[in-house]
Amino acid sequence: MDWKSRLRRVTRTEAFSGYALVSPTALYAILMLAAPLATILAFSFFKDGYLVVVREFTLQNYIDTWSDEIFRAILMRSLIVSGLVTLVTVLLAFPIAYYVSFHVEASKKSRWLFLITIPFWTSYLIRVFLWKVILGYNGVVNSALLGVGIIDTPFQMLNNVPAIAITLAHAYAPFAILPIFVSLEKIDRALLEAGQDLGESKMMTFLRVTLPLAMPGVVAAVLIVFIPTIGDYVTPELIGGGKLPMVANMIQAQMLPLDNKPLGSAIAVSAMVVVALISFGFVFMNRRFLRGQK
Amino acid sequence: MTVQSADRPSMIEFQDVHKYYGDYHALRGITASIRAGEFFSLLGPSGCGKTTLLRTIAGFEGISSGAVMIDGKHMEHVPANQRPTNMVFQSYAIFPHLSVEQNVGFGLRRDPRSEADKAKAVAEALEMVGLKGYGARAAHALSGGQRQRVALARALILKPKVLLLDEPLSALDKKMREQMQVELIKLQRQVGITFVLVTHDQEEALVMSDRIAVMFEGEIAQLADPETLYRRPNSRRVADFIGVMNFLPATILGEANGQIQVEAAGLGRVEIETNQAPGAISEGEASVGFRPETLTILYEGQTASDRETAGTIDEVVYYGDMTYYDVRLDGVDKPVRISMRNVFGRPVLDIGTRTRVAWSAGALVLFR
Repeated sequence: MDWKSRLRRVTRTEAFSGYALVSPTALYAILMLAAPLATILAFSFFKDGYLVVVREFTLQNYIDTWSDEIFRAILMRSLIVSGLVTLVTVLLAFPIAYYVSFHVEASKKSRWLFLITIPFWTSYLIRVFLWKVILGYNGVVNSALLGVGIIDTPFQMLNNVPAIAITLAHAYAPFAILPIFVSLEKIDRALLEAGQDLGESKMMTFLRVTLPLAMPGVVAAVLIVFIPTIGDYVTPELIGGGKLPMVANMIQAQMLPLDNKPLGSAIAVSAMVVVALISFGFVFMNRRFLRGQK
Repeated sequence: MTVQSADRPSMIEFQDVHKYYGDYHALRGITASIRAGEFFSLLGPSGCGKTTLLRTIAGFEGISSGAVMIDGKHMEHVPANQRPTNMVFQSYAIFPHLSVEQNVGFGLRRDPRSEADKAKAVAEALEMVGLKGYGARAAHALSGGQRQRVALARALILKPKVLLLDEPLSALDKKMREQMQVELIKLQRQVGITFVLVTHDQEEALVMSDRIAVMFEGEIAQLADPETLYRRPNSRRVADFIGVMNFLPATILGEANGQIQVEAAGLGRVEIETNQAPGAISEGEASVGFRPETLTILYEGQTASDRETAGTIDEVVYYGDMTYYDVRLDGVDKPVRISMRNVFGRPVLDIGTRTRVAWSAGALVLFR
C-alpha cells in the first residue's frame, strides 16, 4: 500500500473528519486560552524583580496572597456579590423562562427569545454606563422621585453592592433565561398531566416534576452567571466607583499599576481555584438531577 | 367478552357532551354509558374526538355543555387530581428523574400507610405487571414495553374506579402489542376495574373490548359489542372502518316474513333478514355488504348451492395461511375480495380462472 492510499484511508475516517471540524476552534482555544493560562500559572511561581519577572521557582506569591487580609476580604466580597447576582438572576430568570416555555404559543416563542436577547445588542460597557445614568445622583430614578415630590434630596444609589448586583443581574439575565428555557422545553407535557392524574395539585406537580426536570438548566444558569461575574472588572469599577473592588480589580492593580505580575498571577490562580472548587461542589450537590435523562 | 355486563350499574355517563375549540366542534353530543367493570373502547380514525372524550373523563379537558358523571357523581367542578380515574398515557409519561419504584409510588405521597407498607404495595404492583425486581432501575433505562408496565402499575396501585388508556400499545412492535393485549385483558379481569381504551386499531378494539364505541367526527356512530359491530355494522362507514367489507349496488324489491327481497349486482335475487339491515330503508336503492371470509370459492366437484354466482379471478395475494382473491363477479366491474384459508390440498388459483362463488346464509348485510 502506498502512502497516498494510506493517507486517504486515514482522512476518510469519521474520527478524522471530527478532528478536522474542531481543529480551527481547538487551535484558537489553545493559543488564546490555554497558552495565556499556562503563562499565568508559570508567572505565579516566579519571583518578582523590579520591572522584570525573575524565573526562579517560589511559593512566596501564594503565601503573600493568602496571608493578605485585603485579598481575603476582596475575594469574600467577590464571592458574595457574584453569589447574590447569581441568586437574583436565576430567581428572576426562572419565571420568565417558565412563562415563555409554558404559556407562550409555540409560534410566538422565537419572538420572545428574540426580545430576551435585545440587551446583547448594545455593548456591555454601554449597558453598565446606562445603569450609571439610571442610578446616578442626578440620574433617572432620582430625578423622577424628586420631580414627583416623593423625596427632597437624591438617594445615593451608586457605589454599593446592590447597585453592582442590579447591573450584573441585568447583564447576565439572558444567559440564565436561555438554559432554563431549554430544559423546560424538553419536559414532556404529559408528565405534568401525569403528576395531576396521580393526585397531585399543580403546585406539587411543579415541585415534584417540573422543578427537578428543570434542574439541569438551573445548574447551567448558575454556573454561567456565577463564574464570569466573580471575575467582572468593569461593573465594580464604574458602578462601584472603584470603592468596592472585586478580585479582578485587584489583579489588574497588581498586573499594571504595581507591575507585580507574579503576585497578580498568584491572585488570579487563587481566585480561579476557589471558583472551580465552588463550581464543582455545586455540580456535585446537584449530581442526581444531572444524570442522563431520556 | 363472556362477562355478562349488561345488568351492571353504569360507571361513566356522558350526557349530551359537546366540546368546542374555538369554532371547531370536537365533540358533537356524546350520550353514552360505560358500565362498571367493563372493558370499553373508543375506536375511530385520528381526529374523531376519541382522545378528547377520554380526556374529559380524566379531567384534562373541560366540556362546553352537557355532563360527565363518574360513579354517579357530577365531574364538572372536580379537577383531574381529585377524580377517581388514572391514566396510562400514550407516551407513558414515565418520570425520567425517578426510579421505577419512585414512579410507581408517585401517587402514594398522601397515602396514610407507613413507608414499609407503601414499599410493599409498590413491590406488589410491580409483580402484578411482571416487573418484579425492577424497582431500583432508572426509568430512562427501560424498554418501551417495560415503560408501559410501569405506567400500568403506577396507575393501578391507586386502585382507581376507572383506568383510562390512551393508545397504550401504539408505540410497541407487533409481537409485543399482541402480547400486551392479552396481558391487559387478563389484568382487567383480575382487578375488575373499568377500563376505557382509546385506539385507532380496529383489530385491537375487537380483541380486547366488551363493548366498542365507533366514533367519527365527534359523534358515536355505533356502540355495540365486537361481534355485533363486525357482523351487523349500522352504516357503510362503520363497516368500512372495521375490517374489510365488500359492497355491491342493490335494489330493494320488497319485504315479506322478516325477509327483504333484494336484487343485488353480481349476486342476483337474494333474501336478507330484516335484522341484517340495520337502519336500512325498505325500498329503493341500497347496497349489499359482506365480509371477505363469508364468501367461498367453489372448486370443481363441490356441489352447487342455491346461494351461488360466477366470476373471474382478477388478482391473487398469497399470505401463507390465507389467500386473498379479488374476484370480478359477472355483471359487476369492481372486483370483490374473498379470503380463503389455504387448507391442505386446496390449490392456489391463477389470475383469470373462472370460478363459482357461494355465500353463507346471514353473510349479507343491507345498507342504505
